Amino acid sequence: MSLTTREGWQATRERASTLRATAVRILLGGQPGLVVFLGTLVFAGLSWRVGVFITDTYTLANAFASLSEGGFAVEGAVYGDSLETPGMGVRDGRYYGRNYGQLVVSLPALWLLEASTMVADPGLVFAAGWSLLVVALGREAGRLVERPALGTSAGAVCGLVGFLGNAAVARPLADRMLALAAMQLTALVVTALAAATLYRLLARIHGDRVGLVAAAVMVVATPVGFWASVPKRHAFTIALVLSVWYAFYRSRSQSTAETGSALSPLGFRALAYGLVGLTTWLHAGEAFGLFVALVVVDLPTAPSNDRRSLAVVAAVFALSLVPFLLTNAAVSGDPLRPPRMLEGFSEVGTSGEFGGADPASSTGADGLVKSLTELALPPAFVGPVHAGIDRWSVLMSPFFRGTLRVVENPEAVYRTVVRGGYIPGTAPENNYETTDLTVLEAGPLVAAVVAIGVSTLRRGVRGFRTGRPLSASVRAALDRWRTSSGTATDVLVLLTAVSVFLLYVQKLPTHAQVTARYLLVFYPAAVYGIVRSWPLRRALTGHGRTALWAWSGGVLLGAQLFVVVVAAGSLGLGEAFQVHALAGLSVALVLALFAATGPFTDSFDRLTALFAGLAGALGTDFLLLSGLVYFQYGQYVLPALGEFARLLPSV
Amino acid sequence: MDRSRGLSAVAVTVILGVTLASGPAVGLVDLTQPRFDPGNIGQGNATVSEVRTPATVQLKQGLETESYYLETPDAGIRVTAIQGRPTVAYKLAIPSMGYSRGTTHFLGPDDTGWVSLSLARDTLPGDRVSASSYEGTLSVTLRYNGTERVLSERPVTVEVVE
Repeated sequence: MSLTTREGWQATRERASTLRATAVRILLGGQPGLVVFLGTLVFAGLSWRVGVFITDTYTLANAFASLSEGGFAVEGAVYGDSLETPGMGVRDGRYYGRNYGQLVVSLPALWLLEASTMVADPGLVFAAGWSLLVVALGREAGRLVERPALGTSAGAVCGLVGFLGNAAVARPLADRMLALAAMQLTALVVTALAAATLYRLLARIHGDRVGLVAAAVMVVATPVGFWASVPKRHAFTIALVLSVWYAFYRSRSQSTAETGSALSPLGFRALAYGLVGLTTWLHAGEAFGLFVALVVVDLPTAPSNDRRSLAVVAAVFALSLVPFLLTNAAVSGDPLRPPRMLEGFSEVGTSGEFGGADPASSTGADGLVKSLTELALPPAFVGPVHAGIDRWSVLMSPFFRGTLRVVENPEAVYRTVVRGGYIPGTAPENNYETTDLTVLEAGPLVAAVVAIGVSTLRRGVRGFRTGRPLSASVRAALDRWRTSSGTATDVLVLLTAVSVFLLYVQKLPTHAQVTARYLLVFYPAAVYGIVRSWPLRRALTGHGRTALWAWSGGVLLGAQLFVVVVAAGSLGLGEAFQVHALAGLSVALVLALFAATGPFTDSFDRLTALFAGLAGALGTDFLLLSGLVYFQYGQYVLPALGEFARLLPSV
Repeated sequence: MDRSRGLSAVAVTVILGVTLASGPAVGLVDLTQPRFDPGNIGQGNATVSEVRTPATVQLKQGLETESYYLETPDAGIRVTAIQGRPTVAYKLAIPSMGYSRGTTHFLGPDDTGWVSLSLARDTLPGDRVSASSYEGTLSVTLRYNGTERVLSERPVTVEVVE
């Protein structure tokens, strides 16, 4: 090799590595974000089965198969034996899917899989990919902890052993499964991006270490990991919501002097709205909830609402709605009518009613407003104004109905968030199994957020005692939102959770939730809240080792204990779920009690950390058991895990 | 550092090499052979000398639920000779509840001697269970070459356990 070509080679390599570093920085927030990304893929890959977990996945998968042939209408049932599946819409005798944003984004994964299965066996290609990710994870994690040789070697050995083990027991995978697998692969990647985004957000506020741990906790110890390989919208919702939070934070925090940033603060503000706009393409209702939360926090706290800023934000937002509007026009014929509003077959399920109000009767306020306009306006204006009120009330009515539901039917809320158990209304659709866990049962770590409520209350009471007038307190709070990007983001996170909750609570509790999946956004919000709460941060950073040991013990011993209990008690699926539910709730209760003392004293910090570790471990145990024992469907992409699962007892 | 890099290169080479070598383009080896050939399931025959079925079946109220689990103990058949891949269905029927459910087992050339047959657990809503016991029937049916032969059909007591 001559000197000049060697130099040329060197220069190309350097350029490539600079390019790679830039891409990693912009997409994942640098080296730690890359480790989070790879780690999430490796972890979620463990329980990935190519198959249909919930029947409405047939709708999405068949729509995706047709979309890959170039059309929005669903032409045939590639999966299942009928097109009349939950969530399928009908217009002019043709069938249409929904969540088209998710489907379009999944296309590149299908192309990738189709290309790689030209040269590789479909039954082996996923195991090979996963093993290469392990090699990469070892290398990047080694660099991160400054033990590059150890990390690289460990990654190489684990990747190689994992690959050979899987190759030894590999089974064929039918080519027609590739479309479904592509949707799952995309959901996995999107979950990994979501985890990296949570890392970025919290690393900016509290440092790399805290960000890393928070991202790992969200993936490994909450149901976010459960939905990573299920090709539904939930992973996408989480990723978009986290990205909106992150963009919003950056739109407030960045000083103009900061270098190396890809966007200006105004750019990030516009990005936040753009991401909300893209969310409409996934699920218009969730997007609207996110939009309301963002507007309510953004407009009063923005550094500037001058004409230029608003024009930029509005332009980006309008642009981001284009895919949604075009898809609607193609599917329903009306740009403002998303596929979900088509007539469908999905009306099989009813929510579990606890004698709640008739939803139709709770929008009576509109009628009053309409009568007033008829009195006050000339007849020519009444029509358009009423149309406007109709649209507005259609948009806002979920919030009204949600609030009414909370007031009139607190039991429904309790059954969704705290204790589920047997719910007569949802039992038939769940095959009479108690397989729906509540937010706390599935992710007991969420209980720690009571510390936030207690410390807020304590501050309020103190303010009241010092005799400061209420208006001054409110003004001080508003000032804090405006000046502190962290506080403004806290409010956004809280409002997002509230808004999603109000949108869905009227439908809850309902069947096939497994982990209260409609409220999945609670988990990243709770992890964020735990990190942002100063007493919890003090307890968990001060006693991190205790939490880690408790978590490790709870996973190593606890997972085996669950397997033994399921086998020894010969438990049915619903019974096994209730064991998780009761164990989760017990730990959640104790954790909540200790966490609530945090704002007053640090004496219980170690116990708080201990129970937070245990609560995390119960979340992990549920992921492990449901990945290997509780649900047997489809084919594991890592065939060795399929073999391992066969050795375990079944429910 | 260099040794770990070498190891990494070896791992990547092996992973990619094996995957490509077994892929459709190269096709040196086929690592993904099916576990069993589904083509001839139901073809063949078997000689069964003895059938054991349980005398009672439990309909047990589940933990933290109003539903009942129907748990049927395994049955056993003694196979003295087998050709091909016949199937055996193990079925529980409770006529007074309008209930019936069976599980089909695939037999293979190695299945001689006592072979145990399981019946998948089922869940019944609480309002379907009103009596303290039900009369049912447990049957074991051999299917081969498109015909079927009832090996055993016996009454069974379904005990309701609260």
